[in-house]
Amino acid sequence: MINLIKKWLISLGSPPFFFTWASKFLSWFYPISFLLLLTGLIWGIGFAPSDYKQGEVYRIIFIHVPSAILGQSVYLMMAIFGSICLIWRAKLAGMFLRSAAPLGASFTLIALVSGAVWGKPTWGTWWVWDARLTSTLILFFLYAGIIGLYSSIDNKQKGDRAASLISVVGVIIIPVIKKSVDWWQTLHQPSTFTITSAPSMTPDMYLPLLICVIGFYSILLSMLLNRLRAEILIRERNTSWVQQYLNNQVRE
Amino acid sequence: MNEKSTLFNWFMLVLKRDLVLSFKKIATFMIPLVFFLIVITLFPLALGTEGSFLSTLSSGVIWVAALLSSLLAVESIFNEDYRDGTLDQFLISGEPTFILVLAKVLAHWLVTGAPLLLASLISTFFLFLPEGLLFPLLISLLMGTFLLSLLGALGGALTIGKTAILSAVIVLPLSVPILILGVAVMTSALNGQDFFSYLYFLGAMLAIGTPGLCLATTEAIFINYD
Repeated sequence: MINLIKKWLISLGSPPFFFTWASKFLSWFYPISFLLLLTGLIWGIGFAPSDYKQGEVYRIIFIHVPSAILGQSVYLMMAIFGSICLIWRAKLAGMFLRSAAPLGASFTLIALVSGAVWGKPTWGTWWVWDARLTSTLILFFLYAGIIGLYSSIDNKQKGDRAASLISVVGVIIIPVIKKSVDWWQTLHQPSTFTITSAPSMTPDMYLPLLICVIGFYSILLSMLLNRLRAEILIRERNTSWVQQYLNNQVRE
Repeated sequence: MNEKSTLFNWFMLVLKRDLVLSFKKIATFMIPLVFFLIVITLFPLALGTEGSFLSTLSSGVIWVAALLSSLLAVESIFNEDYRDGTLDQFLISGEPTFILVLAKVLAHWLVTGAPLLLASLISTFFLFLPEGLLFPLLISLLMGTFLLSLLGALGGALTIGKTAILSAVIVLPLSVPILILGVAVMTSALNGQDFFSYLYFLGAMLAIGTPGLCLATTEAIFINYD
């Protein structure tokens, strides 16, 4: 059994095999992830009860929290695949990095912007130099650096490996950054605003949030695989299987 | 090189070579210094010259200026050697690249980081640094600039042949802990607290960062020569 899984995982590393697998997987997973996302958002924004303290504004949580979670976990994924790319020189891992970085950056940006929109009515300001906000902003800068790095290197494989290296180094340093930002907070100023210690959520609020998180994760996976497919087609455009695939597409 | 070349000889060889080269070209160690002093000068021009106000800002301003000038100087670590092919020669010489990186970082720090300490002495008069902060400033800059040189070497190796601004964008977010700890040393010294705990932490980062970042830089150099 384990050997079978191992074999399957290894064969996933070959671009043509991965391409067909991803296409098959996406054909049913893409609709499901859309459905999950829509269910979560409609339930959360339309039907969940309003907060007794914040009223309707709190509904931003259904976008803010999932995208903040994704912003961080995409970086972790990038570091994992980055180390695979560095150690085994797996081509696909490098492509993964390239497809994931802009997605992670966008989710971090969504988290920052939705947080600002949420902060304005509840805290009275768009931005606070709070430890969490600051470290999210720095995370966004890290993404920007990685994207800038690989897009400035013409040789794709070198770009992949350089981006892998910096994301692996980044993931080691991120805990230090977080810790130091916490210190800085306590040292400079007591935080003026704290995220209102919310009343422990009722299932009516918690369930849609959970579905939103799952929905965001699955839509991320779908977009990621789709981007990977495109990346594979571009990189392997000179191989026979891509030519064959494209010819079939044209004929259909 | 004689036949009994050891790692230490190799290390000293690279170090000496880099130092001699940079002292022959005065620009390599003058420009970061002048840049540092210019940045320091910009702050009173922008924020006003009132003494007490400037002195509250002084430690932060000096740290930011040090960060910027040491990261903008990273271009000189590998780019020159890459362009004239010396780096290729180093790599095919069979000597360990890790030692090469270590020597180059040390040379870079001696040429740009250590003079920065002297320049920060001048800047304390410009910005009216509060009494008694000189020692914390110097010791935190001493450790911080070496860490910045290490990070800068990584950025420089990743962006060999490209502009320094790209490596600054990559490295600046990673240098946040250094800045925060450096300023924390100053703030706690100002408040009369024990600032050595932050220095210990800087020292721990230095102890882990020196081998770790040198390894990463070595890998980054190899990526360029695949």
